Amino acid sequence: MARIHPLTIRIATGDTRPISKQIVDAVRVEIATGALETGAQLPSVRGLAQQLAINPNTVAKAYSELTSAGWLEARQGLGIFVAVQRQRLSPEERDRRLDEAIGRFINDVVALGLPFAEAQDRLAVEMDAVMPRKSA
Amino acid sequence: MISALEKQAFDCAPRPDLAIETIGLTFHHGSKLVLDHLDLRVERGGIHALVGANGAGKSTLFRILLGFLPPDAGNSFLLRHDSLHLSIDDRRRVGFVNEEHSLPEWMTIAAVTAMQRRQYCDWNERAFASAIGNYGMLPSQKVGELSRGERAGFNLALALAQSPEILILDEPTLGLDIVAKGAFMESLLYSNATEACTIIYCSHQMEEIERLADNLIILERGRLANISPPDEFRERVSHWVADVPFKGPEAATIPGLLQRHLIDGIHHYLVLDQGEGFAEFLRDAGAGRIRTQRVSLDRAVNAFLARNHAAAGR
Repeated sequence: MARIHPLTIRIATGDTRPISKQIVDAVRVEIATGALETGAQLPSVRGLAQQLAINPNTVAKAYSELTSAGWLEARQGLGIFVAVQRQRLSPEERDRRLDEAIGRFINDVVALGLPFAEAQDRLAVEMDAVMPRKSA
Repeated sequence: MISALEKQAFDCAPRPDLAIETIGLTFHHGSKLVLDHLDLRVERGGIHALVGANGAGKSTLFRILLGFLPPDAGNSFLLRHDSLHLSIDDRRRVGFVNEEHSLPEWMTIAAVTAMQRRQYCDWNERAFASAIGNYGMLPSQKVGELSRGERAGFNLALALAQSPEILILDEPTLGLDIVAKGAFMESLLYSNATEACTIIYCSHQMEEIERLADNLIILERGRLANISPPDEFRERVSHWVADVPFKGPEAATIPGLLQRHLIDGIHHYLVLDQGEGFAEFLRDAGAGRIRTQRVSLDRAVNAFLARNHAAAGR
């Protein structure tokens, strides 16, 4: 029997993001970084709700959003698992979104007046932290 | 042909899918109008948070629903039964926990529990044991010796053990410390007794509501001001920041205004139900740079409850 992979995510009340959105974001990061591997089983709806001290319906909502977006899959009677990740966006759409993100980043960073190399280094460190890891 | 009397009876027939229904419910406290033709429909199942400023009529509504207080006009139904004619069997299906946690102080926990166990035929010992297990109380302790948090927990355990179909909680965690609050919420949320239960929960604590509520009901001056999932309500409120020159437009002319502040010469507006059209309004008022952002639930509810102060005195 597959063991449940614990989710070490944190949610904050008083955030402008609804709690279900915070869970969606956190799970996507866990999957993108490889902390949650394909086929890993997630905590039950009730279990995660209890862990985070929130309403189980909120967890159910987040799981169902992640399932319909292809991040997770529900196996009847067994639980929720990380789905095989596929390319979700068309190359054009990926490009467009990347341009948009870079535009925002540049706007904010130019105003800080940092040397280019320093900004670049910091970005590289942060990116490295969220990129999928090749497990040794 | 149906007679006028029959028609009236038909109009007032409670809907089976509703846990709570009030129709034109009106109540005066002396000369003050506490409930103002309140029409409220709460569906069965889920956790419904009821919020409102002090004096919005929340506790009065509960007292009328439970049949403790007759309304001046209108009807109220609890689980399809008229609040004025609740039978013993109807009452058995209703759990009530109030902020006072009033229990006979001279009795021991064991004695109170035995009394309740005798009275309720669907007594759920497992739910009781699991809820009381979150606290370190002894059966031989007298109710008068319990802390406020322990009394709240004991009270909740008794209500859960009744196997209620509806559980009404009137500010149950008021005055509890953070540990006692956590224990109370844990007992409530993860009890096997609440799975098929409708929970109506009155609170001022937005953090709890954000974590727990499926549905947010806002009462304002005895009227229903909102009923929707909390996230949908939050989406209705937006925060706009604009460099409108001078004093800016008159409060009365600002569409959907809940709150406004002038900080360092920049105007901040919290508005209700305004889309992109609000940017247009600000541009017309002379704004050059306009930004908008989402708000937290806490901020949205507080601004909404304070909105009647926004227009006055500025």
